[in-house]
Amino acid sequence: MNLASIAVRNVWRNRFRALMTVLGVAVAVMAFVMLRTVVTATNVAVTYAAQDRVGTRHKVSFILQLPRRYIDTVRGVSGVRTATFANWFGAKLPARPDEFFASMAVDTDTFFDVYNEMSVAPADLARWREDRRGVIVGDVLARKMNWHTGDRVVLRGTIYPGDWEFTVDGVYRATRRSVDRSQFIFHYRYLNEALPAGRRDQIGWIIARIDEPTRAASISRAIDAAFDVQDVQTTSMSERAMNLSFMGMLSGMFTAINVISLVILGILALLLGNTLAMGVRERTQEYGVLRALGFLPKHVVAFILSEAAALGAFAGAAGLALSYPVVQQGLGRWIEENQGATFPYFRIEPETAAAAFALAVTLALAAAALPAWRASRLTVTDALRRLD
Amino acid sequence: MTTTTQGATQPAPIVRIEGVSKRFRRGGEDLTVLDGLDLTIPEGEFVALMGPSGSGKSTLLNLIAGLDRPTSGRVVVANNDLGAMSDGQLAAFRARHLGFIFQTYNLMPVLTAAENVELPLLLTKLPSAERQRRALIALRVVGLEDRVHHTPRQLSGGQEQRVAIARAIVNDPTILVADEPTGDLDRKSADAILDLLVKLNTDMKKTIVMVTHDPAAAERATVTRRMNKGLLQ
Repeated sequence: MNLASIAVRNVWRNRFRALMTVLGVAVAVMAFVMLRTVVTATNVAVTYAAQDRVGTRHKVSFILQLPRRYIDTVRGVSGVRTATFANWFGAKLPARPDEFFASMAVDTDTFFDVYNEMSVAPADLARWREDRRGVIVGDVLARKMNWHTGDRVVLRGTIYPGDWEFTVDGVYRATRRSVDRSQFIFHYRYLNEALPAGRRDQIGWIIARIDEPTRAASISRAIDAAFDVQDVQTTSMSERAMNLSFMGMLSGMFTAINVISLVILGILALLLGNTLAMGVRERTQEYGVLRALGFLPKHVVAFILSEAAALGAFAGAAGLALSYPVVQQGLGRWIEENQGATFPYFRIEPETAAAAFALAVTLALAAAALPAWRASRLTVTDALRRLD
Repeated sequence: MTTTTQGATQPAPIVRIEGVSKRFRRGGEDLTVLDGLDLTIPEGEFVALMGPSGSGKSTLLNLIAGLDRPTSGRVVVANNDLGAMSDGQLAAFRARHLGFIFQTYNLMPVLTAAENVELPLLLTKLPSAERQRRALIALRVVGLEDRVHHTPRQLSGGQEQRVAIARAIVNDPTILVADEPTGDLDRKSADAILDLLVKLNTDMKKTIVMVTHDPAAAERATVTRRMNKGLLQ
């Protein structure tokens, strides 16, 4: 037995109040974990971006297209090992128009060489390359739609009107967290040949794999320089920089998340502070007894702070116990399946969990600091007299 | 022991109060609770302090126990001039020399009887096993060896007060101070507590200073001192 172990027992003296506080703080901790997971999940694209990939898009906007012949020029730039291109298709399932997933027409010969974190079985890849209407889908999308190899799938184009028929030739799996596992990847040739002559041979973007990641900036400049005198100029940058620029567009959202996180922390501190202040007030006479027995003011402070830390730890642990099933298993699964393009990996990072737990304990300690200081300043006789 | 002019031996004083005054400021007014009080308590005496409410007996008890300081005068207990001690030294003095018995027992409800008794020993360097052994001995002295694992809620008022007495004696103090120790008890329980205090005084030679309103309790003491308006009568 020591003062700390007594303090831990003190937490549950008023069980109903302690339980309500723990639950209240647990919900606040879960909300905090959820918000921070949004931030970390958004950052996944930057954190796990390939170091050796350079992206090239239209200089004005990424919604404008590039001439297909640019791919040959990019492949000829010094330092570029291989390059591929893709074009946004943007189609829906006629029977399930609310389902969103990324659909792209790609260069079948090179796409999976450049995006080698998307793993496809060699037999499936070979079959797909030979099948003009073939499609490779992400494992999450395949599971969600219950698609299997050989299934026929019809998409209704939004950018390219009409019904487009495909055959599922295989499934890709992710070997890196940044991969959206709900993509629909098919032959650029299939799209291009179906378009009217005036819309043919246009591509959305080019991705090049380079020899030396440290040369990404100079290679990007060399690629853009190659198109300076063309009608359509380009903007090239490393994949990480490209993802960062996308994140820059979300800065307002991050600011809002940070503000809400602070509000949640404030609520959390108030909940803990209220419970702890009531507990200290009710036990003032006991602190007087401790002082009479020879304990010092610092012991009273340690006693109260130990109780606060224990309450914060209980609440933090309860918050995490709530967060994993709700945020990771429930919401996270749903988001990965339905918002995989933005949040391919929506999981609670260990750092987030540790920060949430540490904050619950730290805020409990901070909330208890003033009541503890006041209790320690009381004279023994005043503390013993306090009956309310 | 000291020798009187007649040659008889008297116990050495364990408490010496010399010209002690205590004033409080309440509601903008100075209130004199003790006014130039002198008192000597020989070692081994069982003193009952009686008097009406506001007579200053609890204040005097607090001064003897080192819980408060006099406005003027000297309080010397077990050869320690309490007025000259720092707060930390006073706390150490209380831990070493004082055993407290309160009217409302003041036990920790989350602790068992044994743990409550062990509480003052947390300030010592004794190992856990030795602390527990001494707590059990103290509980045996007060006749509660069969209630060691009971929490205060599972005990009667009289049993709670006996646990409080065990807590007061566990560190073998020089003086026991008791503030209305029977004030919350029925007559039978009160008598049992007083029997115990008498036993501690006679068998273990503990000096006891007890504040009480109860004449029956005062009768059990060896000396009764009456107070009125801050003075001993």
